[in-house]
Amino acid sequence: MIIELLTALPSAAPHIEGYVYPNEQTLLWSVLIVIYPYITGLVAGAFILASLVRVFRVSELEPAYRLSLLTALAFLLVAPLPLLFHLGHPERCYEPVITPHLSSPMAMFGFVYAWYIMAVLLLELWFDYRKDLVEWSKKERGVRAWIYRLLTVGVHDVSEPALQLDARMAKAITIIGIPSAFLLHGYVGFIFGSIKANPWWGNPLMPIIFIFSAVVSGIALCVFIYLILNRLRGLPQDIDCLDAMGKFLFLALVIDASLEALDWVHRLYAAEESIHVLKSLAAGKLFYSLLVVQVCMGTFVPLVLLGSIQLFRKRIAEGVRRWTYFGCSVLILVGVLAMRWNVVIGGQLFSKSLRGFTAYKFELAGQEGWLVALFLLLLPFLILAVFIRYFLPLKTDAGVHPLTELPDHKAV
Amino acid sequence: MRPHRIPPQILRLILLTLAIVGVYSVARYFLTPASFGRYGWYRAAALGEIAAYPPDYAGKAACAQCHKDKAEQIAKGPHKALSCESCHGPGMAHVGNPDVKLVKPAAPLCLRCHEANPSRPEWLKQVTLADHYGENCLECHVPHQPNEAP
Repeated sequence: MIIELLTALPSAAPHIEGYVYPNEQTLLWSVLIVIYPYITGLVAGAFILASLVRVFRVSELEPAYRLSLLTALAFLLVAPLPLLFHLGHPERCYEPVITPHLSSPMAMFGFVYAWYIMAVLLLELWFDYRKDLVEWSKKERGVRAWIYRLLTVGVHDVSEPALQLDARMAKAITIIGIPSAFLLHGYVGFIFGSIKANPWWGNPLMPIIFIFSAVVSGIALCVFIYLILNRLRGLPQDIDCLDAMGKFLFLALVIDASLEALDWVHRLYAAEESIHVLKSLAAGKLFYSLLVVQVCMGTFVPLVLLGSIQLFRKRIAEGVRRWTYFGCSVLILVGVLAMRWNVVIGGQLFSKSLRGFTAYKFELAGQEGWLVALFLLLLPFLILAVFIRYFLPLKTDAGVHPLTELPDHKAV
Repeated sequence: MRPHRIPPQILRLILLTLAIVGVYSVARYFLTPASFGRYGWYRAAALGEIAAYPPDYAGKAACAQCHKDKAEQIAKGPHKALSCESCHGPGMAHVGNPDVKLVKPAAPLCLRCHEANPSRPEWLKQVTLADHYGENCLECHVPHQPNEAP
């Protein structure tokens, strides 16, 4: 019967191989659901990098502190958009938040998202920027002054005790923010990890793997933006800051790669009944995106390059290190995007019968096409450009570039 | 003794938080549908709204009123349990106005049930199209009485 089926099916459904249940032939979660965990991961990672300065006092990273927070905010604003575009009825998006059900992960996402953006990110930025906002609102004219005045929320007290309180508050919020960032992205991993019917997803390691790949991608994004921004502004690159970012990127990548390797070793050794189809998936449909892009280009090559810098930093010229960090950040960003693709799309390519595969046709201009995906990936960079224009001005009165200005946390 | 004073930025944040919670509560009050939660975690009025939709399907009895011969023919054969509209499509519009024509069933419709598939019970007649006579089912089979030759 199976042989008859294999000969018959190609004529009826050319995108099907082997035996696939009827409701599995078309993928329901498209590229937009790939973009969504990717963007939330970048947010969580960028925030964790900023928290290294505020909580763990890694002073070398101070030049990238505000840039990391603004990057996190720009990407967080875009994070729900892929879900909104994916919804058949986007005008109903508020309903899960108005009538939330505790058993609905999507309803809980509304609250986790609101908590993270309002109680963590915006508050931390506000306390960090309050002094500057007051000064800029007095100094600037026109629309800018109005924006800054609005953002002061009517508080103009910049006395020394008030600034010390700001610094203490910002530190406390960052401490709350670290588990919040883990919660935000752990939740995304939870959505996949809790689907026990799917052996590619249903795995308690999934939230942890998602969190560490998020940290890796977020730090890589900050390295990428930091290098590009300084280049565009004609400013010198702070090699100490880059070395520190490279060190943390390497550490996070080691943990991320180890966890993913552990996941595979466990799967291969436990050899549950799904292992044959998962091996065929990895070596077949996902060969390029998993083995070539994610494992080789996105993990192994950056591990070797960043590891070499950790071992032989003094012997490697600054320029070479800069280019290496740039190259590694791009490779990691592409690699983590491939990881999200492999999880989301890969998990829908094989049948729950464990005996067949379907295919995903990536459309160009449709509602869930790659043009929309590209737009959603570029939009946070446009928002970040506006933030940088308004909140990371090139020169202050004292001639200090705010990228290298120290935040007030030393007062704590 | 100096009176304890809430710092202005904290006071402003408390007010902002209260405003946000207030806006959410007001929005929740006005946006939650009146019948929400009466029977469960959904809008009870939705049941009535869905029930009030004009039906698309007329049912086998409505078909038999005019097409008695076909109804009797199909009742004698193995397709007796099938609804007419499974193959001919929704018929309510046709019942109201016989000028509205129904779908003319074609071969892919037969294959929905009769294409070989290991998940189907063995008593169900199945063919592998590549080894059969192509999509020309009606040349040899009568859908209303599959045991008869045309």
